[in-house]
Amino acid sequence: MSAAVDLLSDPDGRDTKLHQAPSLLTWRDLGIPLLCTAVVVGELYYLSQVTLGASQANILEIDNLVLRTREHVVMTLTITVIVLALAVPFGVLITRPRFRWLASPVLALGNIGQAAPIVGLLAIIGSFVFGFWPVVGMIAAFSILPVLRNTIVGIEQVDVGVKDAARGMGMSPMGVLMRVELPLAIPIIAAGTRTALILAVAVIPLGTDMNAGALGELVFAGIKLNRAESLVCGALLIAVLALLVDWASGLAQRALTPRGIR
Amino acid sequence: MDGLPFFEYVSLFRDDLIFATQKHLLVSLYTLLIATVVGIALGLLVYRRASLSTLSIGALAIGFTIPSIALFGLLVPLLGTGLAVGFPVLTMYGLLPILRNTIVGLNSVDKATLDAARGIGMGRLRMLWQIELPLAWPVILTGVRVGAQLIVGIVVIGAYVGVPGLGELLFDALQNLGAVNKLNQALAGTILVTLIALLLDAAFVLVRRYTTPRGIRV
Repeated sequence: MSAAVDLLSDPDGRDTKLHQAPSLLTWRDLGIPLLCTAVVVGELYYLSQVTLGASQANILEIDNLVLRTREHVVMTLTITVIVLALAVPFGVLITRPRFRWLASPVLALGNIGQAAPIVGLLAIIGSFVFGFWPVVGMIAAFSILPVLRNTIVGIEQVDVGVKDAARGMGMSPMGVLMRVELPLAIPIIAAGTRTALILAVAVIPLGTDMNAGALGELVFAGIKLNRAESLVCGALLIAVLALLVDWASGLAQRALTPRGIR
Repeated sequence: MDGLPFFEYVSLFRDDLIFATQKHLLVSLYTLLIATVVGIALGLLVYRRASLSTLSIGALAIGFTIPSIALFGLLVPLLGTGLAVGFPVLTMYGLLPILRNTIVGLNSVDKATLDAARGIGMGRLRMLWQIELPLAWPVILTGVRVGAQLIVGIVVIGAYVGVPGLGELLFDALQNLGAVNKLNQALAGTILVTLIALLLDAAFVLVRRYTTPRGIRV
């Protein structure tokens, strides 16, 4: 290797090509969407072939499937927005010196909350209120812990030396937070958000009896009517949605990670 | 809405609550036991091959993503309701963290330690039994602990397809919202599930304390 080339390669021995952003999408990323498309197409074809009894025909109409799926997506997104809007600022607050003592009691309380069954929590709140917002609120409260924990962990794992350097350059505490600590914590916060998203997709169906079940309507109708088609269709769509949400948030996680630590 | 005061409800329905708790605990413990045995065995089969390890960890990640409510629904037409679908699904979910941690734990044993063991003439099996498993044990046990938490939670979800346990009380409350004593039932069930989860977790702290080899105890 000539000296000229050596000057170009950086001290860690990484290839200089890395200075161009690595491509965010690779062929392997297409696996999950392709699989999901195949499953959905197969299920729709199957439904078009079987003769459904009167009890299921309405439930499994394509319009209803689209409607329930859209409800599921809207609920998932609403929950995610609420969780992020609460957990990240609160997590940041807890890592500030003045409030650091709060971290372990809050996490301990969160762990206890996480051990509680969401079915029971929904039944408790459902004894008083019904509908979209109570279900969304309860599920958001239930899935806040992974994001909160990862925000705290993500900010605390930032190298002390890096923070010192930032302070030495004359950055204000706010500058250190916004330009150093938070960007470096993004991959970890995003991982927590991903967990919360999957959790939300998984427990939304339980809101069916509170009139906010989205795809859960299909599942529980299948159980109550003792009909496999509706049950399986609902279950498949929930599984596909979970896989797609996980896939999309994985890509988002990669895209949001600052180039330097990718 | 109005029913008995909570404590009167608990004392009146004491037997029902205890019976549901027993069912919940037994189903959880049996499936955890099977998941632990199968998970560690599979991990032992897979961990030496890097390609197999990567493949199984990827497959496990997909398993984690599929919601249990969906998996129950998909398998009911094939396996039937109740424990027939409950046992395989619960074992599957319990297996995920145990298998993952077995693979990760065994692979993170220090290479120099293994070289030293080979150097003093240890064979494959003896090395596994005396060096690798004891050193990986805390990680494996953490996997079992996570598996236990998962299972206790999923038994509740499984109640919608007839898996016995406290979930029966909770779904019954959820599906009869506003009926007499359903709030009490939901409260009692929620508290009992939480207690089971927390006590089981505490038990693992003890197990960990007494089964971790002296040398790596912290």
